[in-house]
Amino acid sequence: MSRRNGTDGSLLASLPYTLGALAFSIAPHVQYLPVWVTVTFLSCSAARWYIEKRRWRLPPAWLRIALAMLCFLAILFSYNQTISGVGPGSALLAVMGSLKMLETRVRRDQFVLLFISIFMIMASLLREQYLWSLPYLLAAVLITMTAWLRMSQARDVSLLHSLRSSSRLLLYAAPIALAMWIFFPRISTPFWSVPIDTSSGRSGLSENMSPGDISSLSLSDAVAFRVTFDGAVPPPSQRYWRGLVLHQFNGRSWTGREPLPDPKARDRISATGDAYRYQVTLEPTRQHWIFALDIPVDWSPETIKMGSDLHLAYTFPIDQRIRYSAVSRTRYSVDSQLTRMARDWYTRFPEERNPRSIEYARELRAAAGSDERYINTVIRAFHDEEYFYTLQPPVLGRDPVDQFLFQTRRGFCEHYASAFALLMRAAGIPSRIVLGYQGGELNPYGNHMIVRQSDAHAWTEVWLADRGWQRIDPTAAVAPERIESGMSGAMFGEIGASWGLNAPAEWLHQLTLSLDALNARWNEWILGYGPENQERFMKWLGMSKPDWQKMFLTLIALVTIGIVVISIVLMRRNRPPPRDPAAVLYGQFTRKAGLPPRTGETPFDYAQRLRETSVQQSDCVDRVTSRYLKARYGTPDEHALQELEDAVSKFRRSA
Amino acid sequence: MQRGSTQAQMPADKEMQKAALDTARKSLNSIVLGKDQEISLALACLLARGHLLIEDLPGLGKTILAQSLARVLGLSFQRIQFTSDLLPADIVGVSVFDQKLAEFRFQPGPVFAQLVLADEVNRATPKAQSALLEAMEEKQVSVDGKTHNLPKPYFVVATQNPSDQIGTFPLPESQLDRFLMRLQLGYPNEASERALLTGTDRRAMLEKIPPTLDADTLGILQDNVERVHVSEPLIDYVQALVRFSRESPEIETGLSPRGALALIAAARAHAFLLHHSGVFPDDVQTVFAAVAGHRLKPASRSGIRNPGELSRHVLDSVAIP
Repeated sequence: MSRRNGTDGSLLASLPYTLGALAFSIAPHVQYLPVWVTVTFLSCSAARWYIEKRRWRLPPAWLRIALAMLCFLAILFSYNQTISGVGPGSALLAVMGSLKMLETRVRRDQFVLLFISIFMIMASLLREQYLWSLPYLLAAVLITMTAWLRMSQARDVSLLHSLRSSSRLLLYAAPIALAMWIFFPRISTPFWSVPIDTSSGRSGLSENMSPGDISSLSLSDAVAFRVTFDGAVPPPSQRYWRGLVLHQFNGRSWTGREPLPDPKARDRISATGDAYRYQVTLEPTRQHWIFALDIPVDWSPETIKMGSDLHLAYTFPIDQRIRYSAVSRTRYSVDSQLTRMARDWYTRFPEERNPRSIEYARELRAAAGSDERYINTVIRAFHDEEYFYTLQPPVLGRDPVDQFLFQTRRGFCEHYASAFALLMRAAGIPSRIVLGYQGGELNPYGNHMIVRQSDAHAWTEVWLADRGWQRIDPTAAVAPERIESGMSGAMFGEIGASWGLNAPAEWLHQLTLSLDALNARWNEWILGYGPENQERFMKWLGMSKPDWQKMFLTLIALVTIGIVVISIVLMRRNRPPPRDPAAVLYGQFTRKAGLPPRTGETPFDYAQRLRETSVQQSDCVDRVTSRYLKARYGTPDEHALQELEDAVSKFRRSA
Repeated sequence: MQRGSTQAQMPADKEMQKAALDTARKSLNSIVLGKDQEISLALACLLARGHLLIEDLPGLGKTILAQSLARVLGLSFQRIQFTSDLLPADIVGVSVFDQKLAEFRFQPGPVFAQLVLADEVNRATPKAQSALLEAMEEKQVSVDGKTHNLPKPYFVVATQNPSDQIGTFPLPESQLDRFLMRLQLGYPNEASERALLTGTDRRAMLEKIPPTLDADTLGILQDNVERVHVSEPLIDYVQALVRFSRESPEIETGLSPRGALALIAAARAHAFLLHHSGVFPDDVQTVFAAVAGHRLKPASRSGIRNPGELSRHVLDSVAIP
């Protein structure tokens, strides 16, 4: 038994590399794994190394099995009784890798450890596919390969040499991997796809709005979406990214409605302004809303539908980054006529809440005489009176609009939009709130616009007879710089836009912009390389009507060519010396005799064995043997080879 | 047969030389029974101008082998029995004062013979041992500032009892290296022993056997041995053996370049002895254990301690090109 569990220090040289490679590939998981998994890994690695160093015995089998059961139960417990999914899966892999160390006795077990290391590297791609994780993962693969070589190479090979060999191996594999990536047929909704866990804990717009919702969003630097314009870019004051529309008010919060498609919605728009064409790459939101420049008149793909409130929505919740294109016009009019029922709907509000505001609205409306004049009065009131635009508005109580309008007078866009919409409804003017983003920063490096969560915005639309729905942004009256220069402009002036709240220097800002440009390319070309991009790329390569069969055949052809080229390169480098014709003939003889010569067996010994084990004609065997020795090792003689050839062919005939 | 034979005469001479060699082998086999392999190796060692170390227990025919070699090859023979009080002068000789001529005259020691048998060389002190070994190496002896050349051909057969016997000074590795081959005779097989027991006395037989060669012919044979063809693949093979002996984890000290040269020289002589048209891998393998056995040092953690097994391990691990 001691022999089976004992260590002899023979792994001492290569074990640190194996453990290091494993640690390197588990590191990206650590922040997601329960702490005890990391602790288990570290203590198992340390224990295993110490055992090898002191040549102790490995823990007995019953202890290892007990530990494995315990860890399995601990994972079930940590992940609410499930082992499916990326989280528990990678935890299980990490724990089993740790325990495998405790039974790593010979080189074969080390192989298993390194396989687990490779698997951990792949598993981390299920969690995140950021641009910056790529170099790390490549380095992890390189380190694992090097550990592999350290394990199998002779002891006196230097580390640098192993590193060079593993880099070379990766380099040989790179073209094949690239071909696989490009040509492996992509399927639009792969059934094996694992939803990438990116939206949890991330902020975004939600389907209702109460005071304080958007101001909390404003603290987030996260990218909401990126836009690439085909031609002109709209001026900052026109960058209203329409999202969802809220029209139901309960005195405190506004809510919208389920995104139901309305096939006639598009026909209600009569747009006149400049047309802007653009593509949007939307980060996952887990919601249906699609953001488009106010107001979208055309869009693709077909899975995007327009609802009756002229908002766009995706058929499925957006779990993965999607890309869509749209055409928008900035000047438009919608619904010049509104049915009685609709007018009634858009002027509803709870009478018992916010009584001062309702009273105030009715007074003002009576004094103004017309709707237009009334709107101007309210806007001017926001502008002239002491209202402040702030990210830290005071907490509001039961009648938030009253409190905001008459006491605190400090608020963020949602406060102004909410108050304005209520004032309109109280005066009998149909109004609703639009949630979306306003602004966006043009990235000079990538020629695209970044819209961040901090650009989230709420504005209002009011319906005026004959003019239809009109966009009115009360925030613009209070803080026009918010609309002109974007969120960060409103808060801090010009610099630090992409840092939102804390950009220390201009150069850092430039750096983040260029990194973002790189990231956008990464998203567009690497992560976004789905069926559409693949089809476009295949067409660009000259493949007419690309389908998966053509791509697969191309892939096979390319991989074959790649392997052949690499093999030829390697073979040319390690080309064996040209074979001696005598040796070739002797090889024919041994093959015909059907008995392979052993390593280090001389021709005489071989002939002897042949005589003993088979019924071959011994004189033929002897003739071949002596002529071979003469031709190959004897004094050079021009007839020797011919004689050998005769002897071999005679032997082949007789056999 | 004269040394000055021309190239034109060579083929005919060669046949005669080969015949003489075969006769010599046959004669030796008739005296030392059942040791064909060892006799061939001893002859090959002599033809390769090397010295021979025979390591075995007493009474296994070491002395008789050496004596019969001298007799059959027609060489002058001297025997030095090494003892713990042997002095270097007892080996190489001394200058003595000649009363008649009134001058010092060098009195050659037993080392001045064409075949010297150094019996039980490990019983003498290292000082005495090194006197012999220096003579072997230099093929000359310096006494009182005067250099005396040793006869040609010059061949030392040293015998050594296994070193675990009491009162011995085993030869260190550096000294062992001076012997081209080390042989172990071992016990004769049943049939040979029976023939030995029933037959006539070996020493009496020895007196009756005519010499088949002489010193000059031996010199020519030695020259011819050096002309045996060594092909490229054979050099590859020897290199592979040497490389393996250096890289194998079972072996601590592999073959030196001198060891590789010795291997080729011995293989050449063996090929010559067997009338091969060049050096065959078989020749290398046959002489390998004798040439390399005392030059390889097994690694401390290797399971192979026996030099014969170590040689077999090398031969079985290296492919023949």
